[in-house]
Amino acid sequence: MTKEISFESPSFKERIKGMLGVDFYRLFHTPLFYIFLAISAIIPAMVSGMTMMTPPEGGEAVALYSNVWQIIAAKEPLYVINTIADYANMNMVYIFGGIMVSIFIGHDYKSGYVKQLFTTHALKQDYMISKSLVCAFAIVCMCASYFVGGTVAGLLVGYDTAVNVGSLILAILGKMVLSLGWASLFTFLNVIFRRYFGISICSSFFFGTGILIIGVASIVEALSLPTWFLNAFLYGSSVNACLTSNIATFVGAMLTSLIWAVVYNIAGTYVLNKSDVY
Amino acid sequence: MNAIEIKNLSKSFGAKQAVSGLNMTVPMGAIYGFIGENGSGKSTTEKMICGLIPRDGGTITVYGKDNSDEAVRESMSVLIEAPGCFGGLTVFDNMMLQAENLGLENAEKEVIRTLKLVRMEGAAGNKYKNCSLGMKQRVGIAMALLGDPTLLVLDEPLNGLDADGMRIMREVFTDIIKDGKRSIVVSSHLLGELEKVATHYGIIRGGKMMREMTAEELERDCRTYVSIKAKDMNAAKFLLMRNYTRVEEDEAGYLRVYDNTTPDKVAKYLYDNGIAVTELGKAKIGLEEYYIDLMKEGK
Repeated sequence: MTKEISFESPSFKERIKGMLGVDFYRLFHTPLFYIFLAISAIIPAMVSGMTMMTPPEGGEAVALYSNVWQIIAAKEPLYVINTIADYANMNMVYIFGGIMVSIFIGHDYKSGYVKQLFTTHALKQDYMISKSLVCAFAIVCMCASYFVGGTVAGLLVGYDTAVNVGSLILAILGKMVLSLGWASLFTFLNVIFRRYFGISICSSFFFGTGILIIGVASIVEALSLPTWFLNAFLYGSSVNACLTSNIATFVGAMLTSLIWAVVYNIAGTYVLNKSDVY
Repeated sequence: MNAIEIKNLSKSFGAKQAVSGLNMTVPMGAIYGFIGENGSGKSTTEKMICGLIPRDGGTITVYGKDNSDEAVRESMSVLIEAPGCFGGLTVFDNMMLQAENLGLENAEKEVIRTLKLVRMEGAAGNKYKNCSLGMKQRVGIAMALLGDPTLLVLDEPLNGLDADGMRIMREVFTDIIKDGKRSIVVSSHLLGELEKVATHYGIIRGGKMMREMTAEELERDCRTYVSIKAKDMNAAKFLLMRNYTRVEEDEAGYLRVYDNTTPDKVAKYLYDNGIAVTELGKAKIGLEEYYIDLMKEGK
């Protein structure tokens, strides 16, 4: 008697639904996510508590921020930073987000979960997409948490609240949509350094600080070259989402995020396809 | 159609050739005991079957399709090294995650079914990190059974199991293959246990398949011997070695005569030479001894 057996290929929707379900479940049912939400709220509160700062050239201490919304986004696109106030805004969330993504993905490898996953899910792109989306969601939540923490602390300190509301909203939304690009970058970095948890955390932190773009911006400014092309990068676009934002800034942030998300997802899928699962 | 057909498979890690020209056939409905020393290439081969590591050369077909085929992979399940559970979640939650991953309908029902199969339903609420090694192993097997997979690849699934756990696993494995469509590849160093369930064997060494055989072929190949215990074992051994070509003393202190003879002939010979025999019997070597012999021959 001939034994017959048939197999059905699952659709993309079926595959990704299961993966997203698992990743979201894990996100909400482990303390990691909530710890980072708390960090995202506490850090801006602490920064806004540092109300006075002595200028580098000496003299009387001046207020770090003049307006509560500068804790959320810079006054204008400042690619080169002079003071901590130029740097300390919602862009810091990407640093915390990078560390969170590293720990989240690190658990996949440490527990052996990826072996189960990649045995049944032959397409590695699903993993990249699922992780990028879930981690982007986590970073968006951290942005919201940062907004609440920064605003409450800024109001308590008594900073001025005058702002162009439209620009503020577009700046916040711009930073939030950029989370997808950042999450894809962090997922990609963690796929590359999957065997070395420490290196994956350090690399996420390093890229999250935007230090590469800050360095390039210093050179660009010193050479008196235009800085607009820096907005094509994730950190540049994050800086560009400031209190002078308009619709073009937001659309630019969306495109930058989307393009880099696609690039990192393709690169991550390639690396996963070519490498061993440990 | 075979469950797995591997031809000329090769894989190297840097300068180290882990698998070299390996051929392997796992028939449909088989429990395939995959045996080899540490570092012989078992896990590497299993990982290549599951698509966890890319192969350098050769072909792997699973149920007639390349092992990269999505549909085929959807029906495979694996337990290699760790079960893939998150320590902070309960056993049940971990199982539900895997069920969700597989897109199972009636996930909860299926999780309860598989936990019952491995007698772990009572520990479903325990956090995974608080489970003992044996319990973790059972959870791993339950997880591998989710969704009724067509092909199970299990690397050392019997490690850490107590006697009852091993008996349960034997029952589970036998039950899985009874319809003749599902197949299991099991690698284990517990050859005595493997021998109780395996229908086929593959013995690998240095990344090459040394021998493949069915349980019946193993039975035929396994030599019989006459086992003797005498009052004066030294004198008995001396005498037997004069008359027979292969006489050995086993770990339990019995003398074994492997030549083509019968217990009564051996007993008569010893009696005629003044040696009193206290125990006598005829037995067959097991898989473990067969494997050790084969390894010795290879060296």
